[in-house]
Amino acid sequence: MGVSNLLSWVTFLPGLAAVALLALHAVARGSGGGGLPDAAWRAAGLGATLLAFLGSLLLWAGFDAGAPGFQFVEYAPWLPSFGVHYFVGIDGISLLLVLLTTFLMPLVLLTSGRDIKRSVPSWVFFMLLLETGMLGAFVSLNLFQFYVFWEVMLIPMYFIIGVWGGQRRVYAAIKFFLYTMLGSLLMLVAILALYYLNSQQFGSFTFDLVAVPGAAARGLLDTQVPVSGAPWWQTQAWLFAAFFLAFGIKVPMVPFHTWLPDAHVEAPTAGSVILAGVLLKMGTYGFVRFSLPLFPEATVQFAPLVFGLALIGILYGALVAMVQKDVKKLVAYSSVAHLGFVMLGMFALNAEGLEGSILQMVNHGLSTGALFLLVGMLYERRHTRQIADFGGIAKPMPVFAAIFGIVTMSSIGLPMLNGFVGEFLILVGAFEAAPIVAVFATLGVILAAVYMLWMYRRVMFGPLDNPENRGLIDLDALEKGVLVAVLIPIFWIGVYPSTFLRVLHPSVKELAARFERAEPAEEPAQATAWLPPLEVGAEGPGGPRP
Amino acid sequence: MSPEIHLGAVGPTLLVGVGAMLVLVAEVMLSGRESFLGRRVTGAWLGSMLAVISSFFLILALIVAWQTFVVGSAQVFNPSHPMVRLDRLASFSIALIALGSLLSCWLSVGYLAELRINHGEYYALLLLATSGMMLLVSATDLIMIFLGIEIMSIPIYVLAGFDRRKLRSNESALKYFLVGSFASALLLYGMALLYGATGHTDLAGIATGFDVSNPLAAMGLGLVLVGFTFKISSVPFHQWTPDVYEGAPTSVTAYMSVTVKVAAFAALLRLLVEAFGDAPPALGTILTVLAALTLVVGNFVAVVQDNVKRMLAYSSIAHAGYLLIGFVAATPEAYSAVLFYLLAYVFMNLGAFGVIVALAHRGQDTDRIDDFAGLASSRPGLAALMTLFMVALAGIPGTGGFVAKFLVFKAAVNEGVIGLTILGVLTSVVSVYYYLRLPVAMYMREPGGEVPRREIASGEGIVLAVCAVVVLVLGLFPNNAPIFLFSWIRALDWTRDSVAMLF
Repeated sequence: MGVSNLLSWVTFLPGLAAVALLALHAVARGSGGGGLPDAAWRAAGLGATLLAFLGSLLLWAGFDAGAPGFQFVEYAPWLPSFGVHYFVGIDGISLLLVLLTTFLMPLVLLTSGRDIKRSVPSWVFFMLLLETGMLGAFVSLNLFQFYVFWEVMLIPMYFIIGVWGGQRRVYAAIKFFLYTMLGSLLMLVAILALYYLNSQQFGSFTFDLVAVPGAAARGLLDTQVPVSGAPWWQTQAWLFAAFFLAFGIKVPMVPFHTWLPDAHVEAPTAGSVILAGVLLKMGTYGFVRFSLPLFPEATVQFAPLVFGLALIGILYGALVAMVQKDVKKLVAYSSVAHLGFVMLGMFALNAEGLEGSILQMVNHGLSTGALFLLVGMLYERRHTRQIADFGGIAKPMPVFAAIFGIVTMSSIGLPMLNGFVGEFLILVGAFEAAPIVAVFATLGVILAAVYMLWMYRRVMFGPLDNPENRGLIDLDALEKGVLVAVLIPIFWIGVYPSTFLRVLHPSVKELAARFERAEPAEEPAQATAWLPPLEVGAEGPGGPRP
Repeated sequence: MSPEIHLGAVGPTLLVGVGAMLVLVAEVMLSGRESFLGRRVTGAWLGSMLAVISSFFLILALIVAWQTFVVGSAQVFNPSHPMVRLDRLASFSIALIALGSLLSCWLSVGYLAELRINHGEYYALLLLATSGMMLLVSATDLIMIFLGIEIMSIPIYVLAGFDRRKLRSNESALKYFLVGSFASALLLYGMALLYGATGHTDLAGIATGFDVSNPLAAMGLGLVLVGFTFKISSVPFHQWTPDVYEGAPTSVTAYMSVTVKVAAFAALLRLLVEAFGDAPPALGTILTVLAALTLVVGNFVAVVQDNVKRMLAYSSIAHAGYLLIGFVAATPEAYSAVLFYLLAYVFMNLGAFGVIVALAHRGQDTDRIDDFAGLASSRPGLAALMTLFMVALAGIPGTGGFVAKFLVFKAAVNEGVIGLTILGVLTSVVSVYYYLRLPVAMYMREPGGEVPRREIASGEGIVLAVCAVVVLVLGLFPNNAPIFLFSWIRALDWTRDSVAMLF
């Protein structure tokens, strides 16, 4: 590509823009004015996020889908005596999540012009900071650096919920912060333990995940984490558990999910979209990028437990979503169920499951993000989110109803829309690994259809008996534009997923290979023509599998 | 034959001590006059004048200490009878103490005028206490350690009660004095026992003669430890901290909360390494218990405080706990982590108190958490700075507080001190809760009642800016920042070199 350090530019552009805007703001204040006007902040913020999106499109264009390993790698010393380096790079997995992040950010900044009227400069500042935090976490290949981004991200999100949120925003913000902090600090201890194990084995200190060409140190991925002894005393099990807590809280897995409904419901629309769309993926991404490859034996050992929790998440999330009276809360609980699917596919530990799980991360970001946007648009008009207050909305707002319908179907997993591809792959993978669990998980798909369609019917159809709903105005051009922008990838993934699956293959193949001996792999799923065949191990040294 | 004396070994101590005397003289000379060199002598002018004189001597001491640190060779005051040694640990701590005192000094000018207590003795007492700390961190003899502690403590007793019309301030001084003297007595008793058991007062001599099976020696060590736990405000001898921190004028609290901590921890470090280097395992157990209790009590009790100064007092207790984790690990790596922690702590804590100082209004402190409600809209700059310092104290990445905690935990994990590290990590989560209460109040609540409105004094502005920049630089680039202005900062190397000589 023409731009050097493209990945760093994409990552840091929003953050740099935030700092530069703040400096300009201070200068403008100092010279007697009231600082930069709100409109300038919004425009500049939008510009920065659009540039970042453009940059990530360039990354996509320059990405070699056939090559294994990390691309766009950049490496610089930071605290070299501790093995802390600035080390970024992306593979297909991180590429998709980077694209998702940079895609959603300008959209939410656009729509937030409607509901965020207070302290606009801080709003734009925190959103931009948040974007750099999220991107930084997705592209980090040094665990210290990853941890820094992982935690830094909390602060803007904390303010976004706490300052611009709903009634119980302070409670929700603190709960969100404390839950995440608890898990991640234990992960820090585990990272340190891993670091010393690595140095004992290779005699040098590094936090790098993989070895860098030319560097003496071996990456943490090369570390042999001991698995000897009883299960309770295995170092690997303990380290896995610490990472599991950090990522499991973020996903959230079931016993740790209680922060999610609060945070999602109290956050402003843009906050909910980013929270559901990107921040939850931080947890699942953490599993794929760190937990699975670092602790393969413990992963296999813990897989039944994770399966169980994921299944509980799917069923429990769906059942609780069903009884919600608040649309936003319903969507929030549906996230618990969807993320259960993602975890299920991931811990199937085969190529189909992994690939479906990663694709489903993106799908969930798009569908649930769009749902939160739609709920937010409705809330702006009516200032209520109670299902009971609605009914027959489709009459005054036909376009809204149509788009809501498509997004609902995508969330349920209707074929030709994105959700189907992800869920299908996940269920194929899960069926290979544990048929019974897959059967029960399928029940979750049905339940999803029940609560989503039921909610849709109660909101959109029926008599328009609430007089306040009669005067509702349909979507305007901006809202339509934003929603159509989200619908494009929803259809794209649904109709031709191989554009996106293609970039995942090398990384997923490598990851799945780590678990192959534990999983006597069958012939890849009887894929339909539009699903590209997943040649696990077919190109390996052993030749094609029988 | 006259002994060979190296005055350089007490150079910074002497400079600051002389400064204290000069401030007193200048105060007497100036305060009686109508005008000086054509300027009318007012209280505010006099205050800033004395602050300038104090700053001059503190900067001088800072330069001398830094020069010694860079040169790197230790100077012993009297080699035939070593009682004071200016080595790298001492010069680093002295530089840090001088810096802390300097910043507190600038923080005080506006605040004292606001509270109408700008008497000249303030600066003299501050310098005197500082010189005591400098003596303390370079002392290699029990007697010098005791002298240092007393020269440090007595002026601070007075400073704590400096706002003499306020009952709280009086209470603070009295409480600190009584408890402090008690601690000093125990310390002295312990020193006497150690001398009785080993026949030495110098640390090297104690190291050779110390035998833990001798009950006299063991008890001496125990009592000395008790004396130090008072000074570093570690549980179970922490009770004075909240009352004193809350009652003392905020500028004094800012000063003592950072400099006393640096001095006492640096001296404890030297004591434990030089005199009890091959320590009995029981010492490790005692320190572990102390650290655990301090972490739990400090962090949990801070949660329920409604006064910011009181909350920061408990937070300072909690930080003593994190620092003690480094002492449990007891490796060069851990001790340099401790020094880095102190370095970061000086700036984040001074910054936090600095904001409270800058908010003082009409002779009153603005120090209840409720007073901070809605501050983000009325004083956005101060609110943002306070948030930064709170985030730093909580140890969120990007700030010096995180790197400090990270280094301590790293050293502890390397030594296999896993349990205590996990406790430290868990209590950090608790600490996030109370540190975030201020940002919550400032950004997420509506202002209630009167908004404190006072122009920031220039000294306060400088101090807050310096603290904020240092906290960020230490967090992002503790070593070799790629930014031209800060590329000389190599905090990791400095702290490593400071302890390297001891081993």
